[in-house]
Amino acid sequence: MNERIPLLALREVSRYFGAVEALVDVDLEVHAHEVVALVGDNGAGKSTLAKVIAGVLAPSTGQVEIGGEPVSVSSPSVANHLGVASVFQDLAVCENLDVTANVFLGQELRSRGGMLHDGEMETETRRLLDHLTVRIPSVRTPLRHLSAGQRQAVAIARTLIGSPRIVVLDEPTAALSVAQTAEVLTHIERLRELGLGVILISHNLNDVRAVADRVEVLRHGRNNGSFPGSEPHETILAAITGAI
Amino acid sequence: MNAIDSVRDILTRNMRQSGIVIAFIAISVLFAVLNPNFLSPGNLTNIVLQYSYILILAIGMVMIIVAGQIDLSVGSVVALTGAVSAVVVVRNGMPWYVGVIAALVVGALVGVWQGFWVAYVGIPGFIVTLAGMLLFRGLTFLVLDNASLSPFGGIYQDIANGFLNGLLGGYGFDVFTLVVFAIGVVGYAIGQWRTRQGKIAYQQTVESMPLFVVKLLAVAALVMWFGYQLSISRGLPVVLIILAVLIIAYTLITQKSVFGRHVYAVGGNVHAAELSGVKVKKINFWIFVNMGVLASVAGIVYSSRMNGAQPGAGNMFELDAIAACFIGGASTTGGVGRVGGAMIGGLIMAVMSNGMQLMGVPQSMQQVVKGLVLLLAVAFDIYNKRRASVAR
Repeated sequence: MNERIPLLALREVSRYFGAVEALVDVDLEVHAHEVVALVGDNGAGKSTLAKVIAGVLAPSTGQVEIGGEPVSVSSPSVANHLGVASVFQDLAVCENLDVTANVFLGQELRSRGGMLHDGEMETETRRLLDHLTVRIPSVRTPLRHLSAGQRQAVAIARTLIGSPRIVVLDEPTAALSVAQTAEVLTHIERLRELGLGVILISHNLNDVRAVADRVEVLRHGRNNGSFPGSEPHETILAAITGAI
Repeated sequence: MNAIDSVRDILTRNMRQSGIVIAFIAISVLFAVLNPNFLSPGNLTNIVLQYSYILILAIGMVMIIVAGQIDLSVGSVVALTGAVSAVVVVRNGMPWYVGVIAALVVGALVGVWQGFWVAYVGIPGFIVTLAGMLLFRGLTFLVLDNASLSPFGGIYQDIANGFLNGLLGGYGFDVFTLVVFAIGVVGYAIGQWRTRQGKIAYQQTVESMPLFVVKLLAVAALVMWFGYQLSISRGLPVVLIILAVLIIAYTLITQKSVFGRHVYAVGGNVHAAELSGVKVKKINFWIFVNMGVLASVAGIVYSSRMNGAQPGAGNMFELDAIAACFIGGASTTGGVGRVGGAMIGGLIMAVMSNGMQLMGVPQSMQQVVKGLVLLLAVAFDIYNKRRASVAR
């Protein structure tokens, strides 16, 4: 472990739903220029952890630190404010809105007079998509006319609004074809090159090992091992299933 | 995406909107052929006066439907606000504007009441407004002591029955009306031109220049013809000015403001909107307040047109307003719909009612036809959507 202050650190975070222990004393650190994969079986607590970081759920006990400072992430907009942006499984975008509207949803630019500043938002959207090397015919296309991979790319692009430091991606490749998955993985690598800390939650060990610098395993809501991204498939699988 | 795909994309996307305009023109032409009086200046004026309040209701309703809700209470709110206004003006002899303000305040309070239950308690709008439909109808009877109240007379009556005529003179036609319409046409042309330039700047496909000019000229000719018909009848109806101001204001609010954008987001995907930081409860609250206020405007116009308030006023208005939205392309699942579309939808209903009345079609048949048109419009919408999703 290096000496730098982590961008994001969770210290002994627990979350209970009544008697159910979704997370128990979980530790996690994410640094700049780093993709940390969070893996585990169904119900291991991955999505709960993502929601805690994104401010959707409050931790029952434990401490969240951002840039070394203890913070209380009480809502998604507070999380945004603190530089944490998230893409959630399945509910990331509004299909009836166009690309620009989705990218800026909740953080619209206003012109004088309080109206939408469409021109500037479109320019910025195109810049962001270029940054991520996303190819989309027009930023005015409604999302329902885009492929699942393109939608996911838009969801990832929207995390870059307001220059965040940490991006949480919950199963970004779950519903995608092989080619689309490859594209999304390139976008994730671009996020790392841009200097962000990325938390990638995934079922798919191939995806994880393709991009992650570090793999953190959760099992029954607890930390169950930390591996470099180059670790063989079998070792990680063993940690997920509890064989070690 | 290649060129053929993008052309097909534009066609399918605009099919709903242009289809509805074509349907409107076709229905108008049909009635014009069947009945020579249909396009007479007097009757055109009449259509505007007769259905203005439905169009006003449809403006608010389309925002509610876009957000994924529904409002069944607007007919009762029209009656209640008209009744309050009548009590103030007719029974207590206050000036006309006190009645207008009282009605607007009551409308806003109704909206606050319904918005509170929908947004902060979380009861579906369908239930809240179904309750409101009964509640406000009952209150109307209470306010009016079960009896009609009339006449308003004077300025109040002119809100819906008045005309601006002779301000700039003219021989047999009103110059002022024509000037107002000309300004409207020029504004429309500039708006279209800027949209086109914007699309070109973003390298999007636009219709060719001759086609664009032909389209503009056709619209201009149609609008100026309509203006001329009004000007040789009784001049510019006051209620048409109210309606035009509302349509322009709400088109801007829904298409260009952050609030409008968030209304669409809530209707499109409420979870995504919430996670993106859209204040969903606030949006739901304010669309109902807005609907309440617009219903009170419709209540004022209606009571003014009737020159009095009846306990049974506004019955079934909600259904006309909702039908206007759906015929005008609003989606039953929320997230899709435009003020302009709802206006065309409302006009289709208006032209059909008026045309069938002129031809002496019995009330029963009119309802059958209107019901079928609503059903077909939504069926066409669903068919289109299904085809679009297969194409992808």
